[in-house]
Amino acid sequence: MASQDILIIGGGPAGLEAAKGVADLGYKAILVEKRDRLGGTPDEAQYAALTPDLRPADEALKDMIDPVVNHPNVEVHYNTLVTGAEGELGNFTIKAVQLGKEVSFQAGAVLVCTGFQHFDPGRETQKYGYYEHDDVITLVDAEKMLKAHKFVRPSTGEPPKRVCFIQCVGSRDRQIGNEYCSKVCCGIASKQAIEIRQLLPDCKVYIFYIDMRMYGYWENEIYWPAQEKYKVNYIKGIATEIIKKGDRLLVKGEDTTLRRPMEVPMDVVILSVGMEPSSGTREMAKIFGLKQNKYGFIETEGGPLDTVTTNVPGVFAVGACTGPADLEDTVSAAGLAVMKAIAAVRKAEPATA
Amino acid sequence: MALDLRQNKYADVPWEEKERLFEEVKSDMRFHHALYGCYECGVCVAACPSARFYDFSPRVIAQAVAREDVDLVYTLMNDSIWDCSQCFSCDRCPRHNSPGMLITIMREVAVRNGLETAREALEGYGRIIYKIMSTGTQVSPDMLQPNAFPDWGPHVHHISENLEVWRRALPPETLHTTETGWAVSDKTIIELYLIWHMTGVMDMIEEVDEGLHMILVDVMEERLEEEGYDVSF
Repeated sequence: MASQDILIIGGGPAGLEAAKGVADLGYKAILVEKRDRLGGTPDEAQYAALTPDLRPADEALKDMIDPVVNHPNVEVHYNTLVTGAEGELGNFTIKAVQLGKEVSFQAGAVLVCTGFQHFDPGRETQKYGYYEHDDVITLVDAEKMLKAHKFVRPSTGEPPKRVCFIQCVGSRDRQIGNEYCSKVCCGIASKQAIEIRQLLPDCKVYIFYIDMRMYGYWENEIYWPAQEKYKVNYIKGIATEIIKKGDRLLVKGEDTTLRRPMEVPMDVVILSVGMEPSSGTREMAKIFGLKQNKYGFIETEGGPLDTVTTNVPGVFAVGACTGPADLEDTVSAAGLAVMKAIAAVRKAEPATA
Repeated sequence: MALDLRQNKYADVPWEEKERLFEEVKSDMRFHHALYGCYECGVCVAACPSARFYDFSPRVIAQAVAREDVDLVYTLMNDSIWDCSQCFSCDRCPRHNSPGMLITIMREVAVRNGLETAREALEGYGRIIYKIMSTGTQVSPDMLQPNAFPDWGPHVHHISENLEVWRRALPPETLHTTETGWAVSDKTIIELYLIWHMTGVMDMIEEVDEGLHMILVDVMEERLEEEGYDVSF
């Protein structure tokens, strides 16, 4: 029996936007989420404020979640992990495990919204010592502190006087195997730099970078204000090594534009870790037989003109499961995927009566 | 240049003194119109004629100041800023910075504070400053004579003999000759004297060249007195 219901896997920004879109169009959205709550990575990693507008993440997520959970056309299944799938466009059967119990769903099309995970700095090929030095942290760790409106040196609990970001950790690196740019880290680091300067006006903040990549309005909304209003220091040159010196960190790198090697003391170093496909994304690619690129992200067909269609008819991929994506990309892709999924199920089963 | 490691070119001073000089630069009313932020595009260096001849970079000036690198700013104030020809080609900066204006401010601070390097840099300009400030006008190209300026080097002889050819190598026609655009009206010269007096230019001259200051004061006081101004320098 053919179905026009749309199954959405993952309750982060991509899945939430998609579920709302499907439901608003009068179709049934079945949203399955492996955690016991919605919001995805921004919720799980406790994002403080969103990039680029510094809107509180909780507030923004609530605005995405409320219309979904309150929508009569949406069915939300928490604690549900998809384990298998069979069938085809218009007639999929998806198997899942829900708190140890096997369940299954019928759907005409599937939207994979399983997102990314943050790069594990233990895999970087410089010598930053994330797992050695307490005061070497990641964007994710910094975000948690910023959420609590308290930014301190983890080793002492005291506010730092000098903080730096090191960009492109886990991205743009052939040795690691991630040649791609993770797209959002420049903006997020700059956003956090602004927040740190707001919290600690006496703290100097540096960003060591290869290229700053803040396209479109991120340039004037984040980059320029960070430099001009908040006096964040951008230094072109990436550090190669962090060593402990006394109770501080010594960051070794090159100040390329002033043509000199540098060894600068820092109280906190924040590694701007990039994006990799989440385990859920890898798993769904396997279950549905979706083509993946060499990095493990789901490959969409159609290049720049179609960012959601996969090699399997009736299965669409949305947002950061297809590659590094910001919220703007993700939400836009969700709308596109909903349109294409509904068009596909309507074609597969022409409306009767 | 910025990273010149030659020793003893100028005296090192305590960090607090460098910081004081930097604060004086930043407190200039023009400062915030001269520097917003720099993303190191290199437009200023690309446009800079001095950068073609010297190891000089307006970008490094903007960077050092934007980063508030007090040590480097002091280094630049003793050296690099004097390589700028103050043509303001760097004003085409897409961020609307003006490294040239930063240099103007830094030079003024260097002069006001009597930095030895400022004195040295300006030494060769004594006669030009005297000429401009006393007459209100400058040496014009047609004044070049083989023996007029021996301190300008042996090539002056060659240039003066072929002045017409040299002029044609420069795109704009100069209107500045001894016959055109030369004479300065009485009203203008009086105004110039008063401006230099009231804006502190004369105090700056005194800081770098007392002899020159004395001669200029003589000339100016006498003339101003003739015109009925009671000005004491």
